[in-house]
Amino acid sequence: MVLTGPVGTSGTGHTRRQLLGAGLAATTLAGCGVFDDKPAPAATPDPLQPLLDEALALAGAYDRAAAAQPALSARLTPLAADHRTHAADLAKLIGVSASASAAASAGPAVENAAADPVAALRTAELTAQKTAVAACLAAPADRAGMVGSIAACRATHAEALR
Amino acid sequence: MNGQLAAAMAAEVAAIYAYGILGVHLGAATQVNEARAAETAHRGRRDYLLGKMDQPLAAPGGYDLPFPVTDPASALKLAVHVEDGVAQSWRPVLGVSQGADRATALAALTDAAVRAVRWRRMAAMSPATMAYPGQAS
Repeated sequence: MVLTGPVGTSGTGHTRRQLLGAGLAATTLAGCGVFDDKPAPAATPDPLQPLLDEALALAGAYDRAAAAQPALSARLTPLAADHRTHAADLAKLIGVSASASAAASAGPAVENAAADPVAALRTAELTAQKTAVAACLAAPADRAGMVGSIAACRATHAEALR
Repeated sequence: MNGQLAAAMAAEVAAIYAYGILGVHLGAATQVNEARAAETAHRGRRDYLLGKMDQPLAAPGGYDLPFPVTDPASALKLAVHVEDGVAQSWRPVLGVSQGADRATALAALTDAAVRAVRWRRMAAMSPATMAYPGQAS
């Protein structure tokens, strides 16, 4: 049995020495961060941040609709309150300020709100439900229940606006 | 996961039983149709759970109702009670499931919560919604 023959590298033109060298270089670079315990400069936003922004945007949309048509106020106010509860609890969970994130909020636009505010809010709830369903499916086990209830709540709002 | 599935199964079987009782007390035809559709949905969830559980528990033959059902008002109240209970039974499944199983659990929670809202509106109960459907109050 021959154990000392040339080692082929499947015709890529690289020698084994080159490959080993490349592997070592990659290992060294990857190892750079091991003893570097400085915090990351720009923290990635929590995956639930969009859900929080959406809750605040929806609460605001309800407020505007109720202000424009006071007759709707009794029907819309409890729904806005649900969204504010979600926003406050999400903010606490992910450790941000609900009002601070409101400033940065780019929530769902509630289209044609003037023509038919209830229909516009219903469409916005159904869109927001989809966001929450996706967030629930992606959530770790300890968040799945809360996010699932938020998704279900948005669906019940759409039903209440029928 | 089996403990959570067993709890959901118990709630679904209780719901099927409850709709059998309350259906005959409902007045309006739309409400009777609604109750029939709900019962069918609960049977579908029960069958799904039967396929998921290693050892399905034997269902009790009957249940003590939380209050007597004698008229349309108490029938609507029981429908709300049942759907709230089903929603609560599915929520713990979310944390012990993933992917398609979690999606099914969320759909079951959501459908029950939506039906609860529909029954509350028919019964003119206010508020019709809650911030966290499925969360035990």
